[in-house]
Amino acid sequence: MIEAKELTKRYAGRTAVDGISFDVAQGEIVGFLGPNGAGKSTTLRILTCFLSASEGSAKVAGFDIYEDSIEVRKRIGYMPENVPLYPDMRVIEYLKFRAQIKGLRYREAKWAVEEAMDICSLTEVNKKIISTLSKGYKQRVGLADALVNKPELLILDEPTNGLDPNQIRQSRELIKRLGERHTILISTHILSEVEMTCNRVIILDRGKIKASDTPQNLIRRLRQPGAVLLEIKGKTDQAVKKVQSIEGVKEVTKNEQRNGWLSLSIVTDPNIDIREEIFDLTLKEKWKVRELASRTASLEDAFVDLVQSGAVATASETGTSEKEAADA
Amino acid sequence: MRTFFILFTKELRSFLLSPLAYVLIALFTLLNGWLFVSIVKAMQLQVSSQSLIHNLFASGWFWMGFFVLFPLITMRLFAEERKMGTIEGLLTAPVRTSEVVLAKYFATIVVYAIIVAPVFFFFPLFEFITGEQGAFSSGAFWGSMLGIFLIGVFNIAIGTLASALTTNQLIAAMLTFVLVMLHYFLGFLQNFGTAPDSIWADGLTYFSTTEHMNSLTEGLIDSRPIVYYISFSVVLIALTHHVLESRKWRV
Repeated sequence: MIEAKELTKRYAGRTAVDGISFDVAQGEIVGFLGPNGAGKSTTLRILTCFLSASEGSAKVAGFDIYEDSIEVRKRIGYMPENVPLYPDMRVIEYLKFRAQIKGLRYREAKWAVEEAMDICSLTEVNKKIISTLSKGYKQRVGLADALVNKPELLILDEPTNGLDPNQIRQSRELIKRLGERHTILISTHILSEVEMTCNRVIILDRGKIKASDTPQNLIRRLRQPGAVLLEIKGKTDQAVKKVQSIEGVKEVTKNEQRNGWLSLSIVTDPNIDIREEIFDLTLKEKWKVRELASRTASLEDAFVDLVQSGAVATASETGTSEKEAADA
Repeated sequence: MRTFFILFTKELRSFLLSPLAYVLIALFTLLNGWLFVSIVKAMQLQVSSQSLIHNLFASGWFWMGFFVLFPLITMRLFAEERKMGTIEGLLTAPVRTSEVVLAKYFATIVVYAIIVAPVFFFFPLFEFITGEQGAFSSGAFWGSMLGIFLIGVFNIAIGTLASALTTNQLIAAMLTFVLVMLHYFLGFLQNFGTAPDSIWADGLTYFSTTEHMNSLTEGLIDSRPIVYYISFSVVLIALTHHVLESRKWRV
């Protein structure tokens, strides 16, 4: 659906997007993940033909974004960041206007708007003026606008930004449901969002792609050493030593002792589960167990890890370029 | 063409559903109504060699109110959309930039026509009430209407360009006002420091709004101002289109 090749966008003195290439296949839900200022919105704006790339090219549904911009735009439903809407129009009026400029005839537009309002649960506010709507409703109007002409591709820029937890859950479910019919590209800086909705994640940092994989693979690949938390009571003087002797355990640290309960943090090799061995050990030693829990690294950890290691690399790069500049 | 009409209707609607349009219509009519009455009174006291129409449009008071209109009706065209970000939704829909520009431009011209139209009812109304015939010729009537229309078309093009240049409506308004006034004063330059028959004085009369209106309000319909205003409007609107497309330039 999308083939991007070496997209680069330079603003005066600053490179926002730095030679990124990626593909999105039909039917995928792909998440663009990255900290603020990573170039997510700029990339989406290039794909929606709002901006042009300084270098590189991209095709959407087989049409070049530069040569066949109108054809590309016919096939994209785009919801910009912060969902700009005309505040003085009524919901139904606005959606009809949008449907019509997207090429639907008057009668088709009427039906399409009904359907889009139904999908986004807007029917009860259809006569309200947009400026009087709550943020959650405005977001849904933006979404209804994006999907009103049934585009093949939905591009949503931070679709859950600024919503309350309940609304976030609702809009995630909506996006998942839409994924059955549309190819979706969303951008976000919230990790749990892509973890829950996307088939694939593209991590973007400082205009470059850092990783592109399924959320599960990404977690597996980037998983930090596993950690197990154990809290026991009984004859625990030799506990650290005994736990350490289990195979795969790298490090055991004693946490504070409370009311006779000893808490241990156990670091193991990645992808090894030692909880069974620990259980056997506690039976053998007749320890009482209050807690035995494994803490798996989330995508959040992977992300922070990735971005921080990237930060080091970029800092050293700019260091050399400054030096070169000074030499010149 | 269909897209143009959808955009045009939307612009016109949003103008006519906002209070600004009605306030402008009311104030502009009030101001010129008062001016009209004053001119009629003055002409009663003193015999004038010129017609009622000529005297109204030769009055500085008319132009003062007139030039304030343009910043007010054009400032929001693009500046507001850019500020709110709605321009992004608009230009990522499958519409041509030229359709957007022309729709906004023509909608503003229609609004302008609605605002100035009441002034042209004054003259027939005067004839009807007083039973006075020949206060002006029909040539002067249609000529002045043409003049006001052309000057409006040109000044709205200036305002459209100014609005596309900035995201701040106030800046767009000030820029429009200054450019409109500068153009107006260009026509007065011939009165200062140049010999009356020099090539400069001659050249500047082509730019002079006052000169154009003087001939048109006498019923003398000259093709030069028509070509002048229309061609400059085309240039300004083309520039506006380029300003909006400049975000897509590959630099």
